[in-house]
Amino acid sequence: MSQNTPMPERVDEIIASYQARTTALIMVLQEVQQEYSYLPPEALQRISERMDLAMSQIYGVATFYKAFSLEPRGKHLVSVCTGTACHVRNSQSILERLERDLHVERGHTSTDREVTLETVNCVGACALGPVVLIDGKHYGHLTVGAVEKLVEVIRQCPCSVEH
Amino acid sequence: MRPIVSPKELNDLRDRLRAAHDPNHTWVQLCAGTGCLACNCEPVAAAFRQKIHDEGLEGVVHLKLTGCHGFCERGPLAVIQPQGIFYQRISPDDIEAIIDQTIKHGKVVTKLLYRDPASKTRIEKAEDIPFYKKQVRLVLRSNGHIDPTSIEDYIAFGGYSALAKALTTMEPERIIDEIKRSRLRGRGGGGFPTGAKWETCRNAKEEPKYVICNADEGDPGAFMDRSVLEGNPHSVIEGMIIGAYAIGSHEGYVYVRHEYPLAVKHLTIALDQARELGLLGPNILGSGFAFDIGVSRGGGAFVCGESTALMASLEGKVGEPRAKYVHTVEHGLWDKPSNLNNVETWANVPLVIEHGADWFASIGTEGSKGTKVFALTGKICNTGLVEVPMGITLREILHDIGGGVPGKKKFKAVQTGGPSGGTLIVETRDAKIMRSMEDAGEISPGDAVTSLLDLPVDFDELTQAGSMMGSGGMIVMDQDSCMVDVARYFIHFLIEESCGKCLPCREGLRKLHEILERITKGQGAPEDILTLQEISETLIDTSLCQLGGSAPNPVLSTLRYFRDEYDAHIRDKRCPAGVCRELVGYAITEDCVGDAKCAKVCPTGAITGGPRNLQVIDQSKCIQCDACYQVCTFNAIVRVKRDRAADVQTTARQTWKPVKERTQAEARA
Amino acid sequence: MPKVNMTVDGRPITVDEGSYVLQAAEALGIEIPTLCFFKYVKPYAACRICVVEAKNKRGRTRIVTACNYPASEGIEILTRTPRVMAARKLNLEMLMSRCAPMPVLTDLARKLGIDQPRWGTGTDMCILCGLCVRVCDEIVGAQAIGFASRGIERFVTTPFEVDSDACILCGACAALCPTGHIRMEEASDREVVHSEITLGPNAAISVPFRQAVPNAPRIDPEFCVHFRTGGCKVCASVCPKECISHDDVERFEEVEVGTVVLATGYQDFDPTPFKQYGYGRLPNVITSMEFERMNNAAGSTGGKILLENGKEPRAIAILHCIGSRDENAHPYCSRVCCMYALKFAHLVKEKTSAEVYQLYIDLRAFGKGYEEFFHRILEEGVNVIRGKGAEVVSAGRDCQEGSLIVRCEDTLAAKFREIPVDMVVLCTALEANRDAKDVARRFGISVGADGWFIERHPKLGPVSTTTDGIFLAGVCQSPKDIPDTVAQGSGAAAHAMSLMIRGEVEMDGAYAVIDDEVCSGCRLCNDLCPYSAIGFDETKKTSSVNPALCKACGTCAAGCPSGAIRALHFADDQIYAEIEGILS
Repeated sequence: MSQNTPMPERVDEIIASYQARTTALIMVLQEVQQEYSYLPPEALQRISERMDLAMSQIYGVATFYKAFSLEPRGKHLVSVCTGTACHVRNSQSILERLERDLHVERGHTSTDREVTLETVNCVGACALGPVVLIDGKHYGHLTVGAVEKLVEVIRQCPCSVEH
Repeated sequence: MRPIVSPKELNDLRDRLRAAHDPNHTWVQLCAGTGCLACNCEPVAAAFRQKIHDEGLEGVVHLKLTGCHGFCERGPLAVIQPQGIFYQRISPDDIEAIIDQTIKHGKVVTKLLYRDPASKTRIEKAEDIPFYKKQVRLVLRSNGHIDPTSIEDYIAFGGYSALAKALTTMEPERIIDEIKRSRLRGRGGGGFPTGAKWETCRNAKEEPKYVICNADEGDPGAFMDRSVLEGNPHSVIEGMIIGAYAIGSHEGYVYVRHEYPLAVKHLTIALDQARELGLLGPNILGSGFAFDIGVSRGGGAFVCGESTALMASLEGKVGEPRAKYVHTVEHGLWDKPSNLNNVETWANVPLVIEHGADWFASIGTEGSKGTKVFALTGKICNTGLVEVPMGITLREILHDIGGGVPGKKKFKAVQTGGPSGGTLIVETRDAKIMRSMEDAGEISPGDAVTSLLDLPVDFDELTQAGSMMGSGGMIVMDQDSCMVDVARYFIHFLIEESCGKCLPCREGLRKLHEILERITKGQGAPEDILTLQEISETLIDTSLCQLGGSAPNPVLSTLRYFRDEYDAHIRDKRCPAGVCRELVGYAITEDCVGDAKCAKVCPTGAITGGPRNLQVIDQSKCIQCDACYQVCTFNAIVRVKRDRAADVQTTARQTWKPVKERTQAEARA
Repeated sequence: MPKVNMTVDGRPITVDEGSYVLQAAEALGIEIPTLCFFKYVKPYAACRICVVEAKNKRGRTRIVTACNYPASEGIEILTRTPRVMAARKLNLEMLMSRCAPMPVLTDLARKLGIDQPRWGTGTDMCILCGLCVRVCDEIVGAQAIGFASRGIERFVTTPFEVDSDACILCGACAALCPTGHIRMEEASDREVVHSEITLGPNAAISVPFRQAVPNAPRIDPEFCVHFRTGGCKVCASVCPKECISHDDVERFEEVEVGTVVLATGYQDFDPTPFKQYGYGRLPNVITSMEFERMNNAAGSTGGKILLENGKEPRAIAILHCIGSRDENAHPYCSRVCCMYALKFAHLVKEKTSAEVYQLYIDLRAFGKGYEEFFHRILEEGVNVIRGKGAEVVSAGRDCQEGSLIVRCEDTLAAKFREIPVDMVVLCTALEANRDAKDVARRFGISVGADGWFIERHPKLGPVSTTTDGIFLAGVCQSPKDIPDTVAQGSGAAAHAMSLMIRGEVEMDGAYAVIDDEVCSGCRLCNDLCPYSAIGFDETKKTSSVNPALCKACGTCAAGCPSGAIRALHFADDQIYAEIEGILS
């Protein structure tokens, strides 16, 4: 995260890189999300002013698409694939086990801001099902028993892994 | 790089690139598609580079990271060229052997070859492996051979020659005519004739016109489009330029899922390269035709695969579909004529132009021409990406190419077309159901013996059989899949993905889910079946878009083919497949060898017994998490009806013998 | 516009190509229920209640939504087939299972023949029809509210679910919401203007009051959405006569006339400064004009005499001479108050059973039949007390008879009285308009100390003014009642007519003339002339006299420093000659 540049300027840079085209709203939001791990309200306000879009439209888009979060996320992002191929290979049990072991519900961030647990509809790595992504890294062919090791991976890593 | 300003210069470049290819060099084509990346192909690539460097083989041995080879099950994969040796499940430790033996001495590393489970022999070349043998790879022809980040590679493999041909020798009308004669149909699932679509868009009065590539592959279990964009993005770009020229458009968009970062990356690189070479821009190949393509990433919404929702999303709005009483080819993006095709369709276009409509039409069946790419997943041995000619039977795909169901499990069904396209094709069916279907006139007498698996892959044949081609995801299910749960799963998926605009989809899916949830919890009532059907019909009739209109398909098709499973849940409060948690209990049978693996994984400490002793599940502590079932290698843990679990456990206690005694008894016998 | 022929439920109709099936059905009087349709926003096709069966020329039947399905040649629409009715019913039942049993749903359910929705009803107030969102976007142009989230989680909100700065408080969303889920609320830091009658935001279009002249609606730009966002213009699209234009601008028209009748009226005296009466401070203390509006059938209470709490008063005090005959305000008598106060008393007696107290200084019932009316009032049981109302105070909670106390000295009984009442009507004075002096200056007429215009002669010229061709009518001259006003108006009109019919003005031979040769252009005379008869000629740089306005008073001639002004027939030598003649 390049937190060095103050927010309005950084958001302006992102908008400028898309020439403030309305078409690029979703992509601008994605980059802002990547930058801050969520969509800060001030950033949305800035986008509204700079791209001349109604705040209601931006808020609608930000809450419609699954990729966006209006709340800060945890240090680690754990995504459980719940695509059909993973579902028939029992990803549900793995998800439930992760919820229990990480003490966080799906779609939420743990109270200590360490982990965000979410589900994704197919990451396209069906051959490896069931798959869990931890900070972008695939862990495949999982069993419920293997979750314990996953939790260790998450807990032991001091910072989020860059991939 | 200097822009190419004429088709001749393109040919010259191609000739130069081909001439530079030294036949004595070795190329290691290592698969770096998402599937292989996920099974650690990066360390393999690093080891290759290191070894090549250490051995001083740079310039003689080239490592090429290619797109998906298709055989994801066996990844990481590599093909050693020019010999064409196919290595699979490579680990970094194997690199030494590959370089030392194969590359230096031409010897094959046997343990890395694919072993055919049927003949139990090792197979050296990819084309001899059953998985590849029956495939006809046209769209995927260069996947696995070219470096997707190199436009030179694509050009050397004959890329952009179709574009040159189209721009210099064909009028736009001729191109449309050619596409029409090829009888190419949309690969996104609907199967609408591509040529006719282009023609309507060309004839639409308003300007400007847009061409759009739909790469929002939201169906879970489908990764055809991703693999094409990752492995051969230029084929899609080339198709789009030809299409834009034919339609009279100067602006194109690719709408791609943000969940596919690699595809976005490769596509962006490819577009930049094409622009640099003058294959996109104000004057393509000196023809005066101007066209450019922008990339738009989706925000994670399945409904954006629907054309009108996709266009709304492109406009920077929420992905809400609108009624299509006026077609998008006339009023689409920004209310202007817009031609939308799926990735695979666009990738087919250069093939048709280059080889001609007659050649293309010679492949496939009467109504469906060319090939179709499928993503084979689920309970199947050879998970992966396959491309087959139209007309091939499902049995050939699943059994010959896919290698059937792993383990000793029984095949149950295959699901095609994603959550909303979803129709299930079954092999074995209840005689009673067959008879009722005969009575209902759904199948003709005698058909009962021919399995639906022998249906040819063909748009019309599949539709007629109550199934559909879909976009290409094929998910195989075995005896361990509960069909009521599958229906509930798909409806749940759609609830999360419905945009919520129209009432039937929003409220109807909620109701369907409520009912299915009740049934899977053993609280179903006999009249629920009728209600499910009634809601399904209303959804089909009155939904605004196809997401809602086809949403009940999983419910209706499971009801049609697996009514017995519904009855078991409702009447007997039993889940035959042992999936529905509320109905299932876990018990350990006399087969237990006492290795206590299950006790180790049990998160609640419900399993006790001690080493080399019968393990016992405390039913009051068991949370049905399935961990023990998955870990037991002796099939000693069974999923039974909840209230029977204690009985099974008691029986096991009475009959269980230590392993030693058992072997002695066997020896005596 | 090309036409197409189609049928709805077997009845043929010809409609514009591209119009929607719902419009065709409406034209035939065939009702198709809808939940998310509103004529002035684009069809949304979200509720799917308006589904019908459409059979095209090829015989293919499918279910479509009437609100946005375009009419085409030869199409057959069936609006009440079993398939359609079943779908409508089921969809409504599913919606009802989530939503509260609101009239919009229960009424529709009754129409569709649903006795008991099979899944019961829920609690949600929003049916997600999106009317509010669409009106805010398409018509108002504010885009203050929108849908958030998706699928079953979808809801309507402002960004971040907090007060939105984009909201212009027009209330269109609340007005259109079929369930009442959206309400207007006073926000602490925002000014929401409620009109007296609707208790909602002001309607931008209204007829100022029932008997307004001209009796036509007008647009208030302060509230009109169009003038704030540039959008809307719904009124223009609904007006069948196409009378509404948003492009009109204020403009000044110049009309050349020969005579003017001034009838600028008066203004009501504001009793707020007279703190002793509690106007604006105590509830139910109102002015006579407000009481008059209340009695009007088009007024706020529909003609009923009610207290602010909606109850009927038990006693009413009518206080005369508020601001009239009062050294602290106006010394004159307003002339009309006594009689309308008696009328009020009569109205109260007619409409309610309340006690009425008249508190007067002198009762001036001098007109024809007026005294008789006073006696009738007495017979009706009105209490008439001679003595000016001194003070109105709140009665306090313990008082059973009324919420207000009126204090006065009953000069006939020589007693100090405290009268408990529920309502006090203040008969406020008629006073001259604030801008009467400006008007007078403009027309070259005079204003008295009270601000009323001065007539030419109190007895002989009560209608005309010192300026020829300018006449007075009505209260602008002095307080008077309706018969007097009508009489004066008729007189003014007759005067004006007599000038106009002749078409020419007879002038006195005497008037002032300015000698261009001598005039220095100092303009002193311009301001001296009491009749504004002297103007300045910019080209010649000299002053000149308008003979039609000149009264030959001689002020200018006397005042001219250059001696350039001469009064015709009153030249110095002529006057000397006259003097000589007399003396000889």
